[in-house]
Amino acid sequence: MTMETINPQFEKELETLRQRLEEAEDVRRAITHGEVDAFVVGPGGNGRVLLLANAYQRYRQVVERMQQGAVTATPGGQILFANQRFADLIGVPLAQLYTAPLETYVRVSDRARVSQFIMLSARDSRVEVELTRRDGSTIPVQIEVASFADGYATLLVTDLRPGQWPSFAREALQSICATLEKLEQPAAREIRAEVERLAGMIDEMKDVNPGR
Amino acid sequence: MTSMQPSAGEKWNLRLYTAGQSPKSLAALANLKKVCEEHLAGRYSIEVVDLMKNPRLAKDDQIVAIPTLVRKLPEPLRRLVGDLSDTERTLVGLQIRPGK
Repeated sequence: MTMETINPQFEKELETLRQRLEEAEDVRRAITHGEVDAFVVGPGGNGRVLLLANAYQRYRQVVERMQQGAVTATPGGQILFANQRFADLIGVPLAQLYTAPLETYVRVSDRARVSQFIMLSARDSRVEVELTRRDGSTIPVQIEVASFADGYATLLVTDLRPGQWPSFAREALQSICATLEKLEQPAAREIRAEVERLAGMIDEMKDVNPGR
Repeated sequence: MTSMQPSAGEKWNLRLYTAGQSPKSLAALANLKKVCEEHLAGRYSIEVVDLMKNPRLAKDDQIVAIPTLVRKLPEPLRRLVGDLSDTERTLVGLQIRPGK
């Protein structure tokens, strides 16, 4: 068969198929060369983006260096991810936390509240409860929903023991002050003065109310 | 190559699908801007579509891997998958330079 005998419709289909094959080959090449770090999965318009490990490495490093505990849990309260800070808070090796029920590390009387809190998972909502450490002691914490995606809640856990949260808050305020210092507007100076006043109040609170 | 080469002076409308600030997405954008500035200066526009914010937009151009560059104009539509680190491949893929 020669090219002259191919009908135009068939030729058009052939061109479409050739283009699709080229595109499929380009996807394969890009994957094998490590040129992509995310994929769209899911049917039709309901696709979602899956990131390869390296793509969120930077964010993971930030999470690992945070002064707050971070936990990602299923609606049923099973731990899918926790950072080292959270492991340190409850005195349990990090490796033991994966897939463990979060409620194991919550004081018995607070478990129902935490379960309900995770199930509702309203962004920015907070609850104050006590965690149970491996040695049996308890520590007051504030749990906050940082994000909720794909049915999983990511929780930030702030240590409320004396000398813990004020220093954390102070660090944040110092960072704000440093930023404001770079701005030369009069308004920035005023805000900075207010922030420093707030820092002073935190220090006073630490002395007056050592339980918080 | 079966498709026609775009003529000089045509407006180029490019859409880059990214996944937030993933390393490959950032690399693709940087590489794309470099290529455009060197070869299409003054006659291109780049639209960045972040699929982390709205994954539904992937359907429009049948995106499966990220980053992916779509040449909307000049027609015909072309797709290039990857971080565009191979400049020669990018130039040929976009038909800025004829393939061998």
